[in-house]
Amino acid sequence: MPKDTLAAFLFLLPLFILVVALIAYPFYRALWLSLTDKLVGYPERFVGLQNYIYLLNDDTFREVVRNTMVFTVGSVAAKVLTGLAMALVLNHVWRWRNFFRGLFLLPWITSSVIIALTWRWMFDSFPGRGFFNSVLIDLGLLSGPIAFMASPEGAMLAVIVANWWRGFPFFGVSYLAGMQAISLELYDAAAVDGAGPWQRFWHVTLPGLKHVMVVTVVLSLILTINDFNIIYVMTRGGPGTATQVLATYSYEVAFNQLRWGRGVTVSIFLVPLLVVGIALVSRYLLRERN
Amino acid sequence: MKALTIAGLVVFLLITLVPFWWIASMSFKTYEQIQFAQSIYVPRPFTWENYTALWTGSRFPLWLRNSLVTAFVVTAITTVIASLAGYAVARLRFPGRESVASLILILYLVPPALLFIPLYRVLAELGATNSLAALFLSYPTFTVPFCTWLLIGFFKALPKELEEAAFVDGATRTTALIRVLLPLAAPGIVASAIFAFTLSWNEFLYALVFIQDETSITVPVGLNLLIYGDVFSWGQLMAASVITTLPVIALYMFIQRWMVEGLAAGSVKG
Repeated sequence: MPKDTLAAFLFLLPLFILVVALIAYPFYRALWLSLTDKLVGYPERFVGLQNYIYLLNDDTFREVVRNTMVFTVGSVAAKVLTGLAMALVLNHVWRWRNFFRGLFLLPWITSSVIIALTWRWMFDSFPGRGFFNSVLIDLGLLSGPIAFMASPEGAMLAVIVANWWRGFPFFGVSYLAGMQAISLELYDAAAVDGAGPWQRFWHVTLPGLKHVMVVTVVLSLILTINDFNIIYVMTRGGPGTATQVLATYSYEVAFNQLRWGRGVTVSIFLVPLLVVGIALVSRYLLRERN
Repeated sequence: MKALTIAGLVVFLLITLVPFWWIASMSFKTYEQIQFAQSIYVPRPFTWENYTALWTGSRFPLWLRNSLVTAFVVTAITTVIASLAGYAVARLRFPGRESVASLILILYLVPPALLFIPLYRVLAELGATNSLAALFLSYPTFTVPFCTWLLIGFFKALPKELEEAAFVDGATRTTALIRVLLPLAAPGIVASAIFAFTLSWNEFLYALVFIQDETSITVPVGLNLLIYGDVFSWGQLMAASVITTLPVIALYMFIQRWMVEGLAAGSVKG
């Protein structure tokens, strides 16, 4: 039916307009801006790769890259482990499984700004004493409140926890679905061969989850490495630059220092990584669609 | 095994519910109770004063209105564009169909943190910054790819025979689409609309960057403004969090089953 091509063109036209005008064109502008010394209020001048060279030699930028890696690897690793635990628990629950699954997914649909505010206050010692200080003091483990958020390590831990809390339910639900797709015969065969619960998990469950693990991990890496909301609301990148990551630093350079060219360059450093990640996930996801 | 499962359930219940309980209980405490760490775990006495103060003494109602208007407009735009595109990719035969499907997936993975600075410039040149129009234009850049991706899967899953039967009965493609396919696809379209609504409702970065005028900001930006004010009652902040979270939970309960299946299908089948 050649009529299909015309219909498809018309149906896809709004999407194409959106993509060209508001994604592709801004992306092209980003690449161009990164080659200029654009300051707010001044016309831009082409400076070649100067922004890239500056950042590569900048100590703050290096710290930002290190923080981004700690934050991303820490949160994603925690999400994988808790996601697996959540899936294992739910897989053994027979009554109200859907109810619990829905309940555990609540963090995932909650606004990240609200999550950040809440965890900030749970860690912080002001106002009042915060949650962790109250519990530790009431258990007799602490004599007075500690300002977790004032130390670099405490602040990093707090932002990782908040990001983990929002993300782990997605891992849990995905792994649960993955576990339920593993054929019971494989478990029976392993049991006949004398495999205990731990060996069955190691040799049957984990290999069966390989596909869903790759997809969830890469998806989450892409999202977490670009996280802005949680860190911006919880710490503004502080104390000092202890939790400054690429997205918040890009904002800081562009909107507080008003150096747009350099601010854009900060986020463009992620593009090669994004390309690899996106290529990997889309191969997996498209294969299963066809 | 059973004891272990129950212990695991309890642990996950605590992990999930403690922060929600913290929000809710703080929203029912007086300023003094919060400031001086009195009755930390349960609000005693229990008070509605944060809710009334928030509603009558702050700009929160205005922000709520802005968030609602934005979410509805963006959801409407998204649903139209994504349904058309999703149907075309799932059901029509045309050259380059596979590439369009990959393109949509790639766009869905492009992070907003990459585009906010140049998008700000583009929107400023269009004269759209500092008003909700900036959000109407920018939010579809992430809601449309996501919802299109969902709807492609949904349209693909509908039986082809029904449409073909309609063709045999002499229906044109448009009538077949409107009379046969749309009613069948309605649950998927509703679910994708709820996703678009939730994504817009929770969005923060674009709203923070594109709008400075305090009368045009949305709830997440407003909440963030409040904590950096001089003396602000955290009780009111938590009351605002409760009010903002409840509609999302309600919507989500409505589509929970389908959403979980869709989520799982996105990464599992194969």
